[in-house]
Amino acid sequence: MPQLRVLIVEDEPNIVESLTFLLEREGLDVHAQSNGAAALASIQTLEPALVILDVMLPNRSGFDILRDIRALPSPPRVLMLTAKGQARDRQMATEIGVDLFMTKPFSNTEIVGSILALLNDG
Amino acid sequence: MTQKALAADAGISASYLNLIEHNRRAVAGKVLLGIARVLGVPPGTLSDGVESALIAELRQAAAHLPRQAAELAAIDELTTRFPGWARLTTALYRQTRDQETAIAALSDRLTHDPFLAESLHSMLSNITVIRSTSNILKNITDIEPEKQARFHVIIHEESRRLSDAAQALSRYFDHATDQNAGTATPDEALDRFLQRHDFRFPEIDAHPQANAEEMATTIAQVLQGDSGLDSTESRRLAQQAMVDYAADAQKMPLAEFRPSAEKLRYDPAALARMYGVDLHAVFRRLTHLNGKEGIQIGLVIANAAGRTLARRPLADFSLPRHGAACPLWPLFQAFSHPGTVQSALVELPGQKRFIALSHALAQDAPAIGTPARYHSAMLLIPVGFQDRLGDWLPPLCAPQPIGISCRICPREGCKARSEPQILGDEG
Repeated sequence: MPQLRVLIVEDEPNIVESLTFLLEREGLDVHAQSNGAAALASIQTLEPALVILDVMLPNRSGFDILRDIRALPSPPRVLMLTAKGQARDRQMATEIGVDLFMTKPFSNTEIVGSILALLNDG
Repeated sequence: MTQKALAADAGISASYLNLIEHNRRAVAGKVLLGIARVLGVPPGTLSDGVESALIAELRQAAAHLPRQAAELAAIDELTTRFPGWARLTTALYRQTRDQETAIAALSDRLTHDPFLAESLHSMLSNITVIRSTSNILKNITDIEPEKQARFHVIIHEESRRLSDAAQALSRYFDHATDQNAGTATPDEALDRFLQRHDFRFPEIDAHPQANAEEMATTIAQVLQGDSGLDSTESRRLAQQAMVDYAADAQKMPLAEFRPSAEKLRYDPAALARMYGVDLHAVFRRLTHLNGKEGIQIGLVIANAAGRTLARRPLADFSLPRHGAACPLWPLFQAFSHPGTVQSALVELPGQKRFIALSHALAQDAPAIGTPARYHSAMLLIPVGFQDRLGDWLPPLCAPQPIGISCRICPREGCKARSEPQILGDEG
């Protein structure tokens, strides 16, 4: 089975570091992008199976990136990860077509379990 | 029935009844009921002039809390028999209504306070890292020593950031509860100050060529005469707004500018050439003509981050105070064509149309290797004013649908929407 690729779009380097550590232990090929404006290009180049997407990013909002992802011919799965947990953000992400919406702070078991479930599901 | 007989039957003196009849004494309570009984009419018909406002307000109070099922049919009786209780009810209703408005404003401010939003976001990020990393250290035993050390450093860094953020938040609330700071942000206080003065300072326009010292005195007098500026920062913003106003007034004295604008059919470019000023200055000055001869011109100036730097709302075109304006405004499109003046016909929900002139202008002299800061301005002219403009205005295309801001915009299916509206169901 080929190694599944995950792209973390997140501007907090320490969150990227802990998530990368956790996901690499699960045998995933993990990449990261901190710039909202460059996220779509990275997705098109890396073709990840899953994108972990922050909402508040420099230069571009996660919602805008999510819209672009949904317009791709074969879009990856998207887990939206945000400190903005308000109901309306969740509603907006759902309307645009997010696969899973999780709020920070998360538990390691929960997020790793959710990511593996999303990957196995797809 | 004679006045004397009526007074006798109602148990009051004829002279007192005379005063009541000529509206020189208020009539209420037992006296009103007595007169109504003698005349055989409902008490409400006698108190219409005196108490109609009270009755109307009681009706509003009843409508405000319909579940209480207040007996509307008995309003007349309440106001006539128990006028004190009726007044107390309406006073409590007014108080409740005012407090609800204030709470809504404060809640709106809390939701939109950029500092609070940023602090919470940052603290949640710190907590996320600390929680995740400490969990790794606790539950995963086979970590390489370098990685383990790295995670310890991360926890240390993030806990220090968390501590700084918590202290900043604490300082912020200490300041916010300062009695002298008032309940408005400095920007809000500035807005209210400008509204109180109708966005114009006749004291400055009367002597636009006054020297710096005289102008400073005039500005200080206006500020002194305004009791609504309750913080140092709001006073500073108000002073700066007046200094900017004075600079525009000096270059374009109103007595000259008004006839020039009329003669040139409000052509901003021609006015800018005539006075040797930039277009943003002319835009600002054009709004100072508002009110005379039906002129109503709105303006918003923003920096590249979308922060509003100057705003002159119109009755039909309110401008959001807390950023997050409609991204479809030509104001923002102008940033992609700096230096060009773009004209467009824009339409708000409700089919209110405006001519929008937008123009992004570099704020710094050109410098090699240093990107210029741009401010964009959007002048808003109600479409009904179009026949007073000259042929300098290019033919307008079909109206572009825009909104005020997503939160209060009912447009369905708008691709530019960045947050749901709060007005209830769309449409």
